[in-house]
Amino acid sequence: MQDKMFMRDLARQGALAFKSGRLDRRSFLALCGMAGVATLAVRAGDAEAAANEIVMWNWGGESEKCHGDAIGKPFTAATGIPLKFDTSGPLQGKIKEMVDSGKVTADVCDADGFDAIALGKSGHLEAIDYNIVNKAQIKEGVAWEFGVGVIFYGYAFMYDTQAFGGNAPSGWADFYDTAKFPGKRSLYKWANGSIESALVADGVPKDKVYPCDVPRAIEKIKSIKADSLYWGSGSEAHDMIVNGEVVMGMIWQNRGKAIEERTNGRYKLVMNEAIAMPGAYIVPRGNPAGRDNVMKFIQQALQVDSQLAILDCLGMTPSNPEAFAKIPEAMQPYAINSAMNIDKVIFNDPVWWAEQGGDAVNAFLDAIG
Amino acid sequence: MTRGSSGIGVDFDRVTKRYGNMTAVEDVSLGIRAGEFLTLLGPSGSGKTTLLMMLAGFQDITAGDIRVGGQSIAAVPPEKRNFGMVFQGYALFPHMTVRGNIEYPLDIRRMAAADMERRLGAMLDLVQLRGFEDRYPQQLSGGQQQRVALARALSFEPRVLLLDEPLGALDRKLRADVQEQLKDIHNRVGTTFIYVTHDQEEALTMSDRIAIMNRGRIVQVGSPTELYERPRTVFAASFLGKSNFITRNGRTYALRPEKIDALPAGKGSGQNKLSGTIKAITYMGATLKLMVDVPGHASIEVQVPAWRNAGQFAESQAIDICWSDDAQVEVEAGDDEKAGVPPVRPSRG
Amino acid sequence: MSSAVQTGRFNVYWLLVAPALLLVLVLYAAPILNVLLLSFADPKPGLGNYYKIVESDTVSRLIFTTIRLCLITTIASVTLGYIVAYAMLHAFSTMRQRMMSILLISFWISVLVRSFAWLMLLGHNGLLNNALMAGGIIAEPLPIMRNEFGVLIGMTEYMIPYAILPLLANMQGIDLRVTSASRSLGASNVQTFFRVFLPLTRPGIVAASLLVFISSLGFYVTPAILGGGKVQMIAEYISVQLLVTVRWGTAAMLATLMLVSVLVLMYVLNRFMRLSTVFGGGPR
Repeated sequence: MQDKMFMRDLARQGALAFKSGRLDRRSFLALCGMAGVATLAVRAGDAEAAANEIVMWNWGGESEKCHGDAIGKPFTAATGIPLKFDTSGPLQGKIKEMVDSGKVTADVCDADGFDAIALGKSGHLEAIDYNIVNKAQIKEGVAWEFGVGVIFYGYAFMYDTQAFGGNAPSGWADFYDTAKFPGKRSLYKWANGSIESALVADGVPKDKVYPCDVPRAIEKIKSIKADSLYWGSGSEAHDMIVNGEVVMGMIWQNRGKAIEERTNGRYKLVMNEAIAMPGAYIVPRGNPAGRDNVMKFIQQALQVDSQLAILDCLGMTPSNPEAFAKIPEAMQPYAINSAMNIDKVIFNDPVWWAEQGGDAVNAFLDAIG
Repeated sequence: MTRGSSGIGVDFDRVTKRYGNMTAVEDVSLGIRAGEFLTLLGPSGSGKTTLLMMLAGFQDITAGDIRVGGQSIAAVPPEKRNFGMVFQGYALFPHMTVRGNIEYPLDIRRMAAADMERRLGAMLDLVQLRGFEDRYPQQLSGGQQQRVALARALSFEPRVLLLDEPLGALDRKLRADVQEQLKDIHNRVGTTFIYVTHDQEEALTMSDRIAIMNRGRIVQVGSPTELYERPRTVFAASFLGKSNFITRNGRTYALRPEKIDALPAGKGSGQNKLSGTIKAITYMGATLKLMVDVPGHASIEVQVPAWRNAGQFAESQAIDICWSDDAQVEVEAGDDEKAGVPPVRPSRG
Repeated sequence: MSSAVQTGRFNVYWLLVAPALLLVLVLYAAPILNVLLLSFADPKPGLGNYYKIVESDTVSRLIFTTIRLCLITTIASVTLGYIVAYAMLHAFSTMRQRMMSILLISFWISVLVRSFAWLMLLGHNGLLNNALMAGGIIAEPLPIMRNEFGVLIGMTEYMIPYAILPLLANMQGIDLRVTSASRSLGASNVQTFFRVFLPLTRPGIVAASLLVFISSLGFYVTPAILGGGKVQMIAEYISVQLLVTVRWGTAAMLATLMLVSVLVLMYVLNRFMRLSTVFGGGPR
């Protein structure tokens, strides 16, 4: 994947540079030869094409198809601009590196709210143009200067219904109670969600979770360390639960429905006290497609139809308040912003995470090692 | 010089070695006397090395038995046979010094340090390598390595020493010197030496007895003189030394080149006479080698002293060659079929 | 006396090599220098990042864990690799060719596939545990995955072929007549092995150990997947600092530390044996 990316990147950069006059024709053609792109197919006009497509940098898996159907199709139908994907996962460090290097290849990144805050502050992002993006269609609090909360996902947990007899755990306090609910658990190894879960379990009220008392959370996490495993990817989280390696597993809420269905309800999702994370669409500074086009794309993503399509396909909850009421009944128990859940979840504070997240992750890694 | 008497006798009793369909050694019986220097002489593939390896214990015996001092050793593993062995290429331990190599068998036998030191000194003196004990094999010349290998094989005073073509890598001059040294050491130590080679000159100079082998069988056993003067088969005659072959009345006779007189044509006499022309003359320093074409016969090789005969002979000269009755020896032709040596036929005119 | 040492005359052939050398310098050395600089510059100029080696519990524990696991992996894979190489040395040629083919093919199997294969075989719900439990031999699944033990199994298995190749190369250069000689001098097979064969394989053992240790320092995927999140090694940590917590100075410092350690290791070992022979050069 890297090679393909690199070569495409190379050709695209060449096209842009050629178009803007920074690269002469001969060198450009030589570059194309090197990148394995047939020179006949590359003309000055293709540099235009490079500028006239939207590249979405997301996490691969199902999301390429889902984003493509849910947002890409209506967007392309309306504007004629095609949607392409980079599925390598836009981690904060990668975005920073990309912008620093001057070779920006993505137009919009499917990242986290705290990425929008942190990278916005360090000047790596384009400001959102709220003339194009409709603020009213965004849930309150997640329309930031440098990013838009387009969807919500959450850190919840699933438990093995056969493990505890009639007893069912109902929240993080139960999750951390190894006496009442013996067996192994799993937590997200990069702290996000795990820190908050520990605080709630330790008795911190839902509205006082932020700013996080990290040392207190670490203590709580250490207390169940002997019974804990830690996962870094969705499939690991999934395997640990379904293979019986843990009796209770933290997991991204959007996977919960699928697992429940596939195991005939043996493993159940607990949405109570889930930590709701705003996903953020952010635009790297100097994105190739230009401000206007990408803002239109983001606006499309906020449309009710697109939002519901994403919910259906990926399980990511809408952020457009207009869509909340339209969430299908079958999805309601699993969606964050549904009427039944919206008061039970704990909304993440991206500002705190932007500032303290790095230290929190390191402290967490230190504790579990 | 009195000979040390530490050797022991070895008996090969109908020993056979087969690999699948191939027979390497066929029904060999040979008695080796205590303390003697016996050479197994033969071309490559004759089975001599295989026989040695069976004696050493590195090859199994397919049939027959080997006895040492009257006791069978067929079931004894190599490390318990207590034979010294000098390998082709010497097989010195490269990670040990000369001292380490020579003391190795003594160390294995848990000899006390003081005794080891004494034995080391004796060995170094025997092979004349005093002062070399802290060198590594890579720092020694080929001849020196060979002497270390010998010292190592003798350091634990074995009663039998096996040598597998140890002089192959040395140049001719060095080889001659080492042959003398080996013979000298043998006399002093008195161990039974069993030596394998394809070089007949080595066999002649060093051995008490020689066993000529071919195609897995023993062709003839005897002292160098016996074998040279009275070979029993065409193969034995042609492998040890050079020989001409004369056929008379259905019998074959071997005739050594130096036992033939060469006289100008017409001067020959006696019933053992042939006439021919000189095909080629080779000057060998001490001798002249004349290749003589005889009609109806294979070429005859004649060897005469060079000093008295210089200038007497020329190419294409007609000469008579003659020899006395006791110069020729009757040999069997039969063995040759098996040996693969083509029988003597009358040559093309 | 070579032409380069003549008075004033510069060896012209260096000019031919220079462009390639320059290219390597620019494309290879420059980025490494960049990383080095980063370790001194981010977040504040100075040695702050390097102090973490002694001050930060996390970092020192990380380094210690990495070294410990890599050492164990090295010992295990070199030992097991030695046994395989020894067997290959004494096998008949067709058997040996087959073994070599299997060895080489194993290089083609990706580390990701292997890690998941281990989970499937030895994991909580895996083949081994299910078989043992079904046979009534154990009541609870054996905890041999998702922990340090699992990581060691995965790393060792990956490294065994890397150990075998230098060991085999060294063994094939040994004249096996020395083992016959040793036996003829009265040493048993066991004595021959320890006194003669094993010492002669020392360069191969050193080469294999060096190769395995250095390679295992950079292990990322195997500990991440087989360790259950609890086995932190330096490579993954650097990656997290780069991508998630964006502490580039720390990441650069650790990377530089690894690079310098490997170079020092190779220098020290070069004092004990000519490293050029390990990498295929001729003897002194």
